[in-house]
Amino acid sequence: MASAVRFKDQGAAGNGGLHRTSSGQGYGLRSLKNKTFSRGDLPAFAAEQEMQGQESTKVMQLAVDEAVVLAEREGAAQHQGNVLADVLDISSPLNDAAAAIVDDSFLRCFKTLPDDPWNWNAYLFPLWLMGVVVRNCILFPLRLIMLLLGFVIFVLGFAVVGLLFKGHRLKQAERWLVQFLCRMFVVSWTGVIKYHGPRPVPQAGRVWVANHSSMIDFAVLGAYSPFAAIMQLHPGWVGLIQKRYLKSLGCLWFNRTQAQDRTLVAQRMREHVHNPDSTPLLIFPEGTCVNNEYCVMFKRGAFDLDATVCPVAIKYNKIFVDAFWNSKKQSFTAHLMKLMRSWALVCDVYFLEPQNRQPGESAQQFAERMQRIIADKARLRIAPWDGYLKYYNLGEKHPDLIEKQRRVFSEAIRQHAEPAAASA
Amino acid sequence: MGQSMSFGLTQFDVDELIAYSKGAFTQQEIEALYKRFRALDRGRKGFITADEFLSIPELSINPLAKRLAYLFESINFREFVGLLAPLSRAASREDKLRCMFSVYDVDGDGAISEEDMEIVLRQLAGSSLSDEELKSIIAKVMRTAGVGERGLTFPDYKAALEGLEIDLHVEVPIED
Repeated sequence: MASAVRFKDQGAAGNGGLHRTSSGQGYGLRSLKNKTFSRGDLPAFAAEQEMQGQESTKVMQLAVDEAVVLAEREGAAQHQGNVLADVLDISSPLNDAAAAIVDDSFLRCFKTLPDDPWNWNAYLFPLWLMGVVVRNCILFPLRLIMLLLGFVIFVLGFAVVGLLFKGHRLKQAERWLVQFLCRMFVVSWTGVIKYHGPRPVPQAGRVWVANHSSMIDFAVLGAYSPFAAIMQLHPGWVGLIQKRYLKSLGCLWFNRTQAQDRTLVAQRMREHVHNPDSTPLLIFPEGTCVNNEYCVMFKRGAFDLDATVCPVAIKYNKIFVDAFWNSKKQSFTAHLMKLMRSWALVCDVYFLEPQNRQPGESAQQFAERMQRIIADKARLRIAPWDGYLKYYNLGEKHPDLIEKQRRVFSEAIRQHAEPAAASA
Repeated sequence: MGQSMSFGLTQFDVDELIAYSKGAFTQQEIEALYKRFRALDRGRKGFITADEFLSIPELSINPLAKRLAYLFESINFREFVGLLAPLSRAASREDKLRCMFSVYDVDGDGAISEEDMEIVLRQLAGSSLSDEELKSIIAKVMRTAGVGERGLTFPDYKAALEGLEIDLHVEVPIED
Protein backbone atom coordinates (compact mmCIF):
# COMPACT_ATOMS: atom_id res chain seq x y z
CA MET A 1 0.00 0.00 0.00
CA ALA A 2 2.36 2.64 -1.19
CA SER A 3 0.25 5.54 -2.19
CA ALA A 4 0.73 9.17 -1.35
CA VAL A 5 -1.73 11.70 -2.57
CA ARG A 6 -0.06 14.81 -3.79
CA PHE A 7 -1.54 18.06 -4.88
CA LYS A 8 0.70 19.73 -7.37
CA ASP A 9 0.52 22.52 -9.85
CA GLN A 10 -0.01 21.15 -13.25
CA GLY A 11 0.49 23.25 -16.33
CA ALA A 12 -0.63 26.79 -16.97
CA ALA A 13 -4.24 26.08 -16.22
CA GLY A 14 -3.20 25.25 -12.68
CA ASN A 15 -5.60 22.41 -12.25
CA GLY A 16 -4.96 20.62 -9.02
CA GLY A 17 -3.45 17.35 -10.09
CA LEU A 18 -3.08 14.28 -8.00
CA HIS A 19 0.18 12.50 -8.12
CA ARG A 20 1.29 9.38 -6.49
CA THR A 21 4.81 9.09 -5.30
CA SER A 22 6.01 5.63 -6.00
CA SER A 23 8.94 5.98 -3.64
CA GLY A 24 7.00 7.07 -0.59
CA GLN A 25 5.44 4.57 1.69
CA GLY A 26 1.95 4.89 3.00
CA TYR A 27 -0.65 7.48 2.19
CA GLY A 28 -0.58 11.09 3.11
CA LEU A 29 -0.11 14.61 1.99
CA ARG A 30 3.63 14.89 2.06
CA SER A 31 3.73 17.76 -0.38
CA LEU A 32 1.88 19.86 2.12
CA LYS A 33 5.19 20.49 3.76
CA ASN A 34 5.75 23.09 1.12
CA LYS A 35 8.99 24.52 2.29
CA THR A 36 9.51 26.08 -1.11
CA PHE A 37 6.06 27.62 -1.08
CA SER A 38 5.22 26.33 -4.49
CA ARG A 39 1.96 27.62 -5.78
CA GLY A 40 -1.00 25.50 -6.41
CA ASP A 41 -0.73 23.57 -3.23
CA LEU A 42 -3.63 22.71 -1.10
CA PRO A 43 -5.29 26.07 -0.38
CA ALA A 44 -4.86 27.15 -3.95
CA PHE A 45 -6.37 23.88 -4.96
CA ALA A 46 -9.31 24.51 -2.68
CA ALA A 47 -9.75 27.97 -4.14
CA GLU A 48 -9.56 26.63 -7.64
CA GLN A 49 -12.06 24.02 -6.88
CA GLU A 50 -14.43 26.63 -5.54
CA MET A 51 -13.93 28.68 -8.64
CA GLN A 52 -13.94 26.12 -11.34
CA GLY A 53 -16.53 24.07 -9.63
CA GLN A 54 -17.29 20.70 -11.01
CA GLU A 55 -14.76 20.61 -13.78
CA SER A 56 -11.78 20.57 -11.50
CA THR A 57 -13.56 18.24 -9.10
CA LYS A 58 -13.91 15.81 -11.94
CA VAL A 59 -10.24 16.09 -12.78
CA MET A 60 -9.43 15.51 -9.12
CA GLN A 61 -11.70 12.55 -8.89
CA LEU A 62 -10.20 10.94 -11.94
CA ALA A 63 -6.76 11.51 -10.52
CA VAL A 64 -7.75 10.03 -7.18
CA ASP A 65 -9.26 7.02 -8.87
CA GLU A 66 -6.12 6.51 -10.87
CA ALA A 67 -4.02 6.75 -7.73
CA VAL A 68 -6.27 4.29 -6.02
CA VAL A 69 -6.10 1.75 -8.82
CA LEU A 70 -2.33 2.00 -8.87
CA ALA A 71 -2.17 1.78 -5.11
CA GLU A 72 -4.19 -1.39 -5.16
CA ARG A 73 -2.10 -2.96 -7.86
CA GLU A 74 1.11 -2.05 -6.13
CA GLY A 75 -0.19 -3.03 -2.72
CA ALA A 76 -1.17 -6.45 -4.00
CA ALA A 77 2.22 -6.91 -5.57
CA GLN A 78 4.19 -5.77 -2.58
CA HIS A 79 2.59 -7.12 0.56
CA GLN A 80 0.74 -9.96 -1.02
CA GLY A 81 -2.19 -8.84 1.04
CA ASN A 82 -0.36 -8.39 4.32
CA VAL A 83 -3.36 -7.27 6.30
CA LEU A 84 -1.37 -6.60 9.45
CA ALA A 85 1.06 -4.21 7.80
CA ASP A 86 -1.71 -2.42 5.91
CA VAL A 87 -3.94 -1.90 8.89
CA LEU A 88 -1.57 -1.59 11.82
CA ASP A 89 1.18 0.55 10.33
CA ILE A 90 -0.08 4.10 10.69
CA SER A 91 3.29 5.77 10.30
CA SER A 92 2.23 7.84 7.31
CA PRO A 93 -0.49 10.02 8.85
CA LEU A 94 1.64 10.28 11.98
CA ASN A 95 4.54 11.59 9.92
CA ASP A 96 2.30 14.18 8.31
CA ALA A 97 0.95 15.21 11.68
CA ALA A 98 4.34 15.42 13.36
CA ALA A 99 5.77 17.45 10.49
CA ALA A 100 2.91 19.93 10.85
CA ILE A 101 3.32 20.08 14.62
CA VAL A 102 7.02 20.88 14.62
CA ASP A 103 6.80 23.47 11.88
CA ASP A 104 4.15 24.81 9.58
CA SER A 105 4.33 27.39 6.92
CA PHE A 106 1.09 29.06 7.92
CA LEU A 107 1.81 30.34 11.42
CA ARG A 108 5.18 31.61 10.21
CA CYS A 109 3.31 34.32 8.30
CA PHE A 110 1.97 35.72 11.56
CA LYS A 111 5.04 35.72 13.72
CA THR A 112 5.89 38.99 15.45
CA LEU A 113 9.47 40.14 15.67
CA PRO A 114 10.48 40.06 19.35
CA ASP A 115 11.58 43.29 21.00
CA ASP A 116 15.33 43.39 21.12
CA PRO A 117 16.66 45.93 23.63
CA TRP A 118 20.22 46.99 22.81
CA ASN A 119 21.22 47.45 26.45
CA TRP A 120 24.14 45.13 25.93
CA ASN A 121 26.85 46.62 28.09
CA ALA A 122 27.79 49.18 30.69
CA TYR A 123 28.05 52.16 28.37
CA LEU A 124 25.17 51.24 26.09
CA PHE A 125 22.87 50.62 29.00
CA PRO A 126 22.60 54.26 30.20
CA LEU A 127 22.08 55.36 26.63
CA TRP A 128 19.39 52.79 26.11
CA LEU A 129 17.80 53.71 29.43
CA MET A 130 17.75 57.35 28.44
CA GLY A 131 16.02 56.31 25.27
CA VAL A 132 13.41 54.39 27.23
CA VAL A 133 12.76 57.41 29.43
CA VAL A 134 12.59 59.80 26.48
CA ARG A 135 10.33 57.51 24.50
CA ASN A 136 7.94 56.68 27.31
CA CYS A 137 7.93 59.85 29.41
CA ILE A 138 8.43 62.60 26.83
CA LEU A 139 7.60 61.42 23.34
CA PHE A 140 4.66 59.24 24.25
CA PRO A 141 2.65 61.87 26.20
CA LEU A 142 3.39 64.53 23.62
CA ARG A 143 2.28 62.28 20.80
CA LEU A 144 -0.80 61.21 22.69
CA ILE A 145 -1.80 64.81 23.34
CA MET A 146 -1.24 65.64 19.70
CA LEU A 147 -3.29 62.71 18.53
CA LEU A 148 -6.14 63.51 20.92
CA LEU A 149 -6.04 67.14 19.83
CA GLY A 150 -6.19 65.96 16.26
CA PHE A 151 -9.18 63.88 17.17
CA VAL A 152 -10.97 66.82 18.75
CA ILE A 153 -10.34 68.99 15.70
CA PHE A 154 -11.47 66.16 13.47
CA VAL A 155 -14.72 65.57 15.34
CA LEU A 156 -15.51 69.28 15.64
CA GLY A 157 -14.50 69.84 12.04
CA PHE A 158 -16.84 67.11 10.93
CA ALA A 159 -19.74 68.70 12.79
CA VAL A 160 -18.94 72.14 11.43
CA VAL A 161 -18.57 71.15 7.78
CA GLY A 162 -21.77 69.17 8.11
CA LEU A 163 -23.55 72.40 8.95
CA LEU A 164 -21.75 74.64 6.47
CA PHE A 165 -21.51 72.64 3.27
CA LYS A 166 -23.64 70.40 1.16
CA GLY A 167 -23.09 67.95 -1.68
CA HIS A 168 -19.77 67.97 -3.42
CA ARG A 169 -18.18 70.60 -1.17
CA LEU A 170 -19.13 68.63 1.91
CA LYS A 171 -17.56 65.51 0.50
CA GLN A 172 -14.38 67.33 -0.28
CA ALA A 173 -14.19 68.83 3.19
CA GLU A 174 -14.77 65.46 4.78
CA ARG A 175 -12.09 63.85 2.67
CA TRP A 176 -9.72 66.57 3.75
CA LEU A 177 -10.59 65.96 7.39
CA VAL A 178 -9.98 62.23 7.12
CA GLN A 179 -6.65 62.91 5.48
CA PHE A 180 -5.88 65.29 8.32
CA LEU A 181 -6.66 62.61 10.89
CA CYS A 182 -4.49 60.08 9.04
CA ARG A 183 -1.68 62.60 9.11
CA MET A 184 -2.13 63.09 12.84
CA PHE A 185 -1.84 59.34 13.27
CA VAL A 186 1.33 59.22 11.22
CA VAL A 187 2.73 62.13 13.23
CA SER A 188 1.90 60.27 16.44
CA TRP A 189 4.31 57.52 15.42
CA THR A 190 6.78 59.99 13.93
CA GLY A 191 6.22 58.20 10.68
CA VAL A 192 9.15 58.43 8.32
CA ILE A 193 7.38 57.38 5.20
CA LYS A 194 8.83 57.50 1.74
CA TYR A 195 6.31 57.41 -1.05
CA HIS A 196 7.66 56.20 -4.37
CA GLY A 197 5.90 56.44 -7.68
CA PRO A 198 3.16 58.73 -8.97
CA ARG A 199 0.53 60.04 -6.58
CA PRO A 200 -2.78 58.28 -7.11
CA VAL A 201 -5.70 60.33 -8.42
CA PRO A 202 -9.37 59.39 -8.35
CA GLN A 203 -10.46 57.81 -11.59
CA ALA A 204 -13.37 55.57 -12.48
CA GLY A 205 -12.58 51.94 -13.17
CA ARG A 206 -9.52 51.79 -10.98
CA VAL A 207 -8.88 49.94 -7.79
CA TRP A 208 -5.81 49.98 -5.57
CA VAL A 209 -4.58 46.84 -3.89
CA ALA A 210 -1.89 46.63 -1.22
CA ASN A 211 -0.32 44.11 1.09
CA HIS A 212 -1.56 44.33 4.65
CA SER A 213 0.35 44.35 7.94
CA SER A 214 -1.80 46.39 10.24
CA MET A 215 -4.74 48.74 10.22
CA ILE A 216 -2.19 51.53 10.23
CA ASP A 217 -1.67 50.78 6.53
CA PHE A 218 -4.83 52.72 5.97
CA ALA A 219 -3.48 55.77 7.76
CA VAL A 220 -0.11 55.46 6.04
CA LEU A 221 -1.75 55.58 2.63
CA GLY A 222 -4.55 57.92 3.68
CA ALA A 223 -2.08 60.55 4.85
CA TYR A 224 -0.78 60.79 1.30
CA SER A 225 -4.00 60.58 -0.62
CA PRO A 226 -7.47 59.79 0.68
CA PHE A 227 -8.67 56.27 0.05
CA ALA A 228 -11.85 54.43 0.73
CA ALA A 229 -11.11 50.95 1.99
CA ILE A 230 -12.83 47.64 2.38
CA MET A 231 -12.45 46.75 6.00
CA GLN A 232 -13.49 44.41 8.70
CA LEU A 233 -15.80 46.15 11.16
CA HIS A 234 -14.06 46.42 14.51
CA PRO A 235 -15.52 46.81 17.96
CA GLY A 236 -14.84 49.79 20.23
CA TRP A 237 -13.61 53.21 19.20
CA VAL A 238 -12.27 51.96 15.88
CA GLY A 239 -15.74 50.76 14.93
CA LEU A 240 -17.14 54.14 15.94
CA ILE A 241 -14.76 55.95 13.59
CA GLN A 242 -15.52 53.48 10.87
CA LYS A 243 -19.26 53.85 11.18
CA ARG A 244 -19.54 57.53 11.86
CA TYR A 245 -16.73 59.10 9.88
CA LEU A 246 -15.15 56.84 7.31
CA LYS A 247 -18.54 56.22 5.80
CA SER A 248 -18.33 59.61 4.11
CA LEU A 249 -15.38 58.35 2.08
CA GLY A 250 -17.40 55.41 0.93
CA CYS A 251 -15.52 52.90 3.05
CA LEU A 252 -17.19 49.52 3.03
CA TRP A 253 -17.03 47.08 5.85
CA PHE A 254 -18.11 43.57 6.44
CA ASN A 255 -17.82 40.75 8.84
CA ARG A 256 -15.18 38.35 7.65
CA THR A 257 -16.99 35.31 8.87
CA GLN A 258 -20.32 36.18 7.30
CA ALA A 259 -20.66 34.93 3.75
CA GLN A 260 -23.73 37.03 2.93
CA ASP A 261 -21.87 40.14 4.02
CA ARG A 262 -19.19 39.29 1.54
CA THR A 263 -21.53 39.00 -1.43
CA LEU A 264 -23.12 42.31 -0.56
CA VAL A 265 -19.72 43.96 -0.29
CA ALA A 266 -18.67 42.52 -3.64
CA GLN A 267 -21.66 44.19 -5.24
CA ARG A 268 -21.12 47.53 -3.52
CA MET A 269 -17.43 47.36 -4.40
CA ARG A 270 -18.26 47.11 -8.08
CA GLU A 271 -20.61 50.10 -7.87
CA HIS A 272 -18.01 52.13 -6.04
CA VAL A 273 -15.19 51.41 -8.48
CA HIS A 274 -17.19 52.39 -11.54
CA ASN A 275 -18.56 55.58 -10.04
CA PRO A 276 -16.41 58.51 -11.24
CA ASP A 277 -17.22 60.64 -8.16
CA SER A 278 -16.02 58.18 -5.58
CA THR A 279 -12.83 58.22 -3.57
CA PRO A 280 -10.19 55.76 -4.83
CA LEU A 281 -10.94 52.33 -3.50
CA LEU A 282 -8.23 50.53 -1.57
CA ILE A 283 -8.42 46.79 -1.05
CA PHE A 284 -6.21 44.56 1.02
CA PRO A 285 -6.73 41.30 -0.86
CA GLU A 286 -4.97 39.21 1.77
CA GLY A 287 -7.97 39.86 3.96
CA THR A 288 -5.92 39.77 7.15
CA CYS A 289 -2.79 41.26 8.67
CA VAL A 290 0.45 39.47 7.78
CA ASN A 291 3.83 40.17 9.35
CA ASN A 292 5.34 42.01 6.37
CA GLU A 293 7.74 39.12 5.73
CA TYR A 294 5.29 36.85 3.96
CA CYS A 295 2.41 37.43 1.64
CA VAL A 296 -0.58 35.10 1.90
CA MET A 297 -3.06 34.27 -0.83
CA PHE A 298 -4.73 37.18 -2.58
CA LYS A 299 -8.48 36.79 -2.60
CA ARG A 300 -9.78 37.28 -6.04
CA GLY A 301 -12.64 39.70 -5.25
CA ALA A 302 -10.59 42.77 -6.10
CA PHE A 303 -9.51 41.32 -9.43
CA ASP A 304 -12.94 40.48 -10.69
CA LEU A 305 -14.28 44.04 -10.97
CA ASP A 306 -13.41 44.75 -14.62
CA ALA A 307 -11.16 47.47 -13.32
CA THR A 308 -7.53 48.42 -13.76
CA VAL A 309 -5.66 47.31 -10.68
CA CYS A 310 -3.00 49.59 -9.24
CA PRO A 311 -0.64 47.64 -7.00
CA VAL A 312 0.74 49.29 -3.87
CA ALA A 313 3.61 47.67 -2.00
CA ILE A 314 4.11 48.65 1.64
CA LYS A 315 7.35 47.66 3.31
CA TYR A 316 7.99 48.51 6.93
CA ASN A 317 11.45 48.83 8.29
CA LYS A 318 11.50 46.95 11.56
CA ILE A 319 14.53 48.72 12.97
CA PHE A 320 12.57 50.56 15.69
CA VAL A 321 9.27 48.75 15.89
CA ASP A 322 7.46 45.89 14.19
CA ALA A 323 4.38 47.37 12.54
CA PHE A 324 2.62 44.01 12.26
CA TRP A 325 -0.62 43.98 14.21
CA ASN A 326 -1.08 40.54 15.69
CA SER A 327 -4.78 40.90 16.39
CA LYS A 328 -4.92 37.61 18.24
CA LYS A 329 -2.39 38.73 20.81
CA GLN A 330 -2.95 42.45 21.06
CA SER A 331 -5.79 44.93 20.91
CA PHE A 332 -5.51 47.66 18.31
CA THR A 333 -5.15 50.25 21.07
CA ALA A 334 -2.22 48.34 22.56
CA HIS A 335 -0.72 48.09 19.09
CA LEU A 336 -0.99 51.86 18.62
CA MET A 337 0.55 52.46 22.04
CA LYS A 338 3.46 50.28 21.07
CA LEU A 339 3.99 52.31 17.91
CA MET A 340 3.67 55.59 19.79
CA ARG A 341 6.29 54.57 22.32
CA SER A 342 8.91 53.77 19.71
CA TRP A 343 11.36 56.20 18.16
CA ALA A 344 9.87 56.18 14.72
CA LEU A 345 7.95 54.19 12.19
CA VAL A 346 10.02 53.79 9.05
CA CYS A 347 8.23 52.71 5.96
CA ASP A 348 8.43 52.66 2.17
CA VAL A 349 5.35 52.83 0.02
CA TYR A 350 5.60 52.00 -3.68
CA PHE A 351 2.86 52.91 -6.10
CA LEU A 352 3.50 50.47 -8.94
CA GLU A 353 2.40 50.38 -12.52
CA PRO A 354 -1.33 49.73 -13.00
CA GLN A 355 -2.13 46.40 -14.57
CA ASN A 356 -5.05 45.08 -16.55
CA ARG A 357 -6.37 41.59 -16.72
CA GLN A 358 -4.97 39.94 -19.80
CA PRO A 359 -7.21 38.14 -22.24
CA GLY A 360 -7.74 34.58 -21.16
CA GLU A 361 -6.47 35.26 -17.67
CA SER A 362 -8.74 34.14 -14.85
CA ALA A 363 -9.35 36.36 -11.83
CA GLN A 364 -7.35 33.94 -9.74
CA GLN A 365 -4.38 34.04 -12.09
CA PHE A 366 -4.58 37.81 -12.23
CA ALA A 367 -4.58 37.89 -8.44
CA GLU A 368 -1.50 35.68 -8.36
CA ARG A 369 0.30 37.87 -10.86
CA MET A 370 -0.44 40.99 -8.82
CA GLN A 371 0.66 39.20 -5.67
CA ARG A 372 4.01 38.45 -7.26
CA ILE A 373 4.46 42.06 -8.35
CA ILE A 374 3.75 43.35 -4.84
CA ALA A 375 5.72 40.63 -3.08
CA ASP A 376 8.77 41.27 -5.25
CA LYS A 377 8.73 44.97 -4.57
CA ALA A 378 8.13 44.66 -0.85
CA ARG A 379 10.53 41.71 -0.56
CA LEU A 380 7.89 39.38 0.81
CA ARG A 381 7.88 35.62 0.51
CA ILE A 382 4.74 34.19 -0.99
CA ALA A 383 2.91 31.64 1.10
CA PRO A 384 0.09 29.70 -0.52
CA TRP A 385 -2.25 29.89 2.44
CA ASP A 386 -5.57 31.61 2.64
CA GLY A 387 -5.22 34.19 5.44
CA TYR A 388 -8.75 33.44 6.62
CA LEU A 389 -7.42 30.19 8.01
CA LYS A 390 -6.62 32.33 11.02
CA TYR A 391 -10.35 32.42 11.64
CA TYR A 392 -11.52 28.97 10.70
CA ASN A 393 -10.31 25.43 10.77
CA LEU A 394 -9.20 24.10 7.40
CA GLY A 395 -10.39 20.61 8.19
CA GLU A 396 -13.88 21.80 9.11
CA LYS A 397 -14.17 24.10 6.12
CA HIS A 398 -12.87 21.60 3.59
CA PRO A 399 -13.78 18.13 4.83
CA ASP A 400 -13.24 16.87 1.28
CA LEU A 401 -9.50 17.26 1.78
CA ILE A 402 -9.59 14.77 4.64
CA GLU A 403 -12.09 12.60 2.82
CA LYS A 404 -9.76 12.17 -0.14
CA GLN A 405 -6.97 10.85 2.02
CA ARG A 406 -9.45 8.58 3.74
CA ARG A 407 -10.67 7.16 0.47
CA VAL A 408 -7.17 6.16 -0.54
CA PHE A 409 -6.70 4.40 2.79
CA SER A 410 -10.04 2.68 2.68
CA GLU A 411 -9.37 1.45 -0.86
CA ALA A 412 -6.06 0.08 0.32
CA ILE A 413 -7.56 -1.94 3.15
CA ARG A 414 -10.80 -2.89 1.41
CA GLN A 415 -9.03 -5.76 -0.34
CA HIS A 416 -8.80 -7.43 3.05
CA ALA A 417 -12.52 -7.37 3.67
CA GLU A 418 -14.31 -10.68 3.34
CA PRO A 419 -15.88 -10.99 -0.10
CA ALA A 420 -19.22 -11.72 1.52
CA ALA A 421 -19.04 -8.54 3.58
CA ALA A 422 -17.91 -6.48 0.62
CA SER A 423 -20.89 -7.48 -1.43
CA ALA A 424 -23.33 -7.14 1.46
CA MET B 1 17.42 45.03 34.40
CA GLY B 2 16.09 45.49 30.95
CA GLN B 3 17.98 42.43 29.90
CA SER B 4 15.59 40.31 27.98
CA MET B 5 15.60 36.63 28.60
CA SER B 6 16.22 35.09 25.23
CA PHE B 7 15.81 31.51 26.30
CA GLY B 8 13.87 29.95 29.13
CA LEU B 9 15.59 26.58 29.41
CA THR B 10 18.73 25.86 31.40
CA GLN B 11 21.35 23.36 30.35
CA PHE B 12 20.00 21.14 33.09
CA ASP B 13 16.51 21.26 31.56
CA VAL B 14 17.86 20.56 28.11
CA ASP B 15 19.98 17.63 29.28
CA GLU B 16 17.04 16.25 31.15
CA LEU B 17 14.79 16.57 28.09
CA ILE B 18 17.35 14.92 25.83
CA ALA B 19 17.52 12.02 28.28
CA TYR B 20 13.73 11.96 28.46
CA SER B 21 13.50 11.77 24.68
CA LYS B 22 16.05 8.92 24.85
CA GLY B 23 18.43 10.86 22.68
CA ALA B 24 15.92 11.30 19.88
CA PHE B 25 16.58 15.04 19.80
CA THR B 26 19.76 17.06 19.92
CA GLN B 27 20.13 20.23 21.95
CA GLN B 28 19.50 22.36 18.88
CA GLU B 29 16.34 20.45 18.13
CA ILE B 30 15.14 20.86 21.71
CA GLU B 31 15.72 24.59 21.39
CA ALA B 32 13.79 24.73 18.13
CA LEU B 33 10.97 22.69 19.63
CA TYR B 34 10.84 25.01 22.61
CA LYS B 35 10.43 28.01 20.36
CA ARG B 36 7.76 26.21 18.44
CA PHE B 37 5.98 25.23 21.62
CA ARG B 38 5.92 28.82 22.81
CA ALA B 39 4.61 29.97 19.45
CA LEU B 40 1.77 27.45 19.58
CA ASP B 41 0.98 28.28 23.20
CA ARG B 42 -1.07 31.43 22.87
CA GLY B 43 -0.88 33.63 25.91
CA ARG B 44 2.03 31.80 27.55
CA LYS B 45 -0.10 29.41 29.58
CA GLY B 46 2.62 26.79 29.70
CA PHE B 47 0.52 24.19 27.95
CA ILE B 48 -1.12 23.71 24.57
CA THR B 49 -4.80 23.01 24.05
CA ALA B 50 -6.36 20.82 21.39
CA ASP B 51 -7.78 23.92 19.70
CA GLU B 52 -4.35 25.41 19.38
CA PHE B 53 -3.15 22.22 17.77
CA LEU B 54 -6.00 22.11 15.34
CA SER B 55 -5.34 25.72 14.34
CA ILE B 56 -2.38 24.39 12.37
CA PRO B 57 -4.03 23.98 8.96
CA GLU B 58 -1.83 21.13 7.85
CA LEU B 59 -2.71 19.21 10.99
CA SER B 60 -6.41 19.92 10.82
CA ILE B 61 -6.74 17.99 7.56
CA ASN B 62 -4.97 14.96 8.95
CA PRO B 63 -7.35 11.99 9.06
CA LEU B 64 -6.20 11.25 12.60
CA ALA B 65 -6.48 14.88 13.73
CA LYS B 66 -9.17 14.14 16.31
CA ARG B 67 -7.37 11.24 17.88
CA LEU B 68 -4.09 13.13 17.94
CA ALA B 69 -5.67 16.28 19.35
CA TYR B 70 -6.89 14.12 22.21
CA LEU B 71 -3.38 12.81 22.85
CA PHE B 72 -1.96 16.31 22.63
CA GLU B 73 -4.62 17.99 24.78
CA SER B 74 -3.22 20.31 27.48
CA ILE B 75 0.35 19.07 27.39
CA ASN B 76 3.33 20.94 28.76
CA PHE B 77 6.67 21.19 27.02
CA ARG B 78 8.07 18.03 28.56
CA GLU B 79 5.09 16.01 27.39
CA PHE B 80 5.33 17.70 24.01
CA VAL B 81 8.91 16.48 23.63
CA GLY B 82 7.94 13.07 24.96
CA LEU B 83 5.15 12.67 22.41
CA LEU B 84 7.25 13.79 19.46
CA ALA B 85 10.40 11.88 20.36
CA PRO B 86 9.27 8.45 19.07
CA LEU B 87 8.33 10.05 15.75
CA SER B 88 11.86 11.13 15.01
CA ARG B 89 14.22 9.14 12.86
CA ALA B 90 16.60 8.63 15.76
CA ALA B 91 14.03 6.88 17.94
CA SER B 92 14.36 3.15 18.50
CA ARG B 93 12.08 0.74 16.69
CA GLU B 94 10.57 -0.26 19.99
CA ASP B 95 9.60 3.35 20.79
CA LYS B 96 8.19 3.95 17.34
CA LEU B 97 6.04 0.86 17.66
CA ARG B 98 4.93 1.84 21.13
CA CYS B 99 3.92 5.26 19.86
CA MET B 100 1.80 3.83 17.05
CA PHE B 101 0.35 1.35 19.49
CA SER B 102 -0.67 4.11 21.87
CA VAL B 103 -2.49 5.89 19.06
CA TYR B 104 -4.40 2.70 18.37
CA ASP B 105 -5.08 1.98 22.04
CA VAL B 106 -7.89 4.50 22.40
CA ASP B 107 -9.06 3.53 25.89
CA GLY B 108 -5.47 3.23 27.11
CA ASP B 109 -5.89 -0.17 28.76
CA GLY B 110 -2.73 -1.60 27.23
CA ALA B 111 -4.50 -3.61 24.55
CA ILE B 112 -6.12 -2.74 21.24
CA SER B 113 -9.63 -4.05 21.50
CA GLU B 114 -11.94 -4.36 18.52
CA GLU B 115 -13.66 -1.15 19.58
CA ASP B 116 -10.34 0.70 19.72
CA MET B 117 -9.46 -0.48 16.27
CA GLU B 118 -12.85 0.42 14.94
CA ILE B 119 -12.56 3.99 16.19
CA VAL B 120 -9.12 4.52 14.67
CA LEU B 121 -9.89 2.79 11.40
CA ARG B 122 -13.10 4.74 11.06
CA GLN B 123 -11.09 7.95 11.31
CA LEU B 124 -8.54 6.68 8.84
CA ALA B 125 -10.93 5.27 6.29
CA GLY B 126 -13.90 7.61 6.61
CA SER B 127 -17.39 6.67 5.56
CA SER B 128 -16.57 4.99 2.26
CA LEU B 129 -15.95 1.71 4.02
CA SER B 130 -19.12 -0.04 5.12
CA ASP B 131 -19.57 -1.30 8.68
CA GLU B 132 -19.52 -4.90 7.48
CA GLU B 133 -16.29 -4.40 5.58
CA LEU B 134 -14.72 -2.70 8.56
CA LYS B 135 -15.84 -5.44 10.92
CA SER B 136 -14.52 -8.16 8.65
CA ILE B 137 -11.17 -6.41 8.29
CA ILE B 138 -10.88 -6.08 12.06
CA ALA B 139 -11.82 -9.71 12.49
CA LYS B 140 -9.21 -10.70 9.95
CA VAL B 141 -6.52 -8.64 11.68
CA MET B 142 -7.38 -10.18 15.04
CA ARG B 143 -7.44 -13.65 13.59
CA THR B 144 -4.17 -13.27 11.66
CA ALA B 145 -2.39 -11.76 14.64
CA GLY B 146 -3.81 -14.47 16.85
CA VAL B 147 -4.89 -12.38 19.79
CA GLY B 148 -6.33 -13.21 23.18
CA GLU B 149 -9.45 -12.02 24.93
CA ARG B 150 -8.37 -8.47 25.71
CA GLY B 151 -7.35 -7.74 22.18
CA LEU B 152 -4.03 -6.92 20.61
CA THR B 153 -1.45 -6.36 23.34
CA PHE B 154 1.84 -4.61 22.69
CA PRO B 155 3.84 -7.84 22.23
CA ASP B 156 1.18 -8.99 19.75
CA TYR B 157 1.37 -5.67 17.96
CA LYS B 158 5.14 -5.86 17.80
CA ALA B 159 5.04 -9.41 16.48
CA ALA B 160 2.46 -8.43 13.86
CA LEU B 161 4.71 -5.77 12.41
CA GLU B 162 7.85 -7.89 12.66
CA GLY B 163 10.21 -7.27 9.80
CA LEU B 164 8.36 -4.22 8.52
CA GLU B 165 10.34 -1.04 8.37
CA ILE B 166 8.68 1.59 10.56
CA ASP B 167 9.07 4.77 8.61
CA LEU B 168 8.67 7.54 11.18
CA HIS B 169 11.04 10.34 10.39
CA VAL B 170 9.97 13.79 11.55
CA GLU B 171 12.75 16.32 11.33
CA VAL B 172 12.83 19.39 13.50
CA PRO B 173 13.81 22.39 11.40
CA ILE B 174 16.76 24.11 13.00
CA GLU B 175 17.01 27.83 12.54
CA ASP B 176 20.40 29.37 12.19
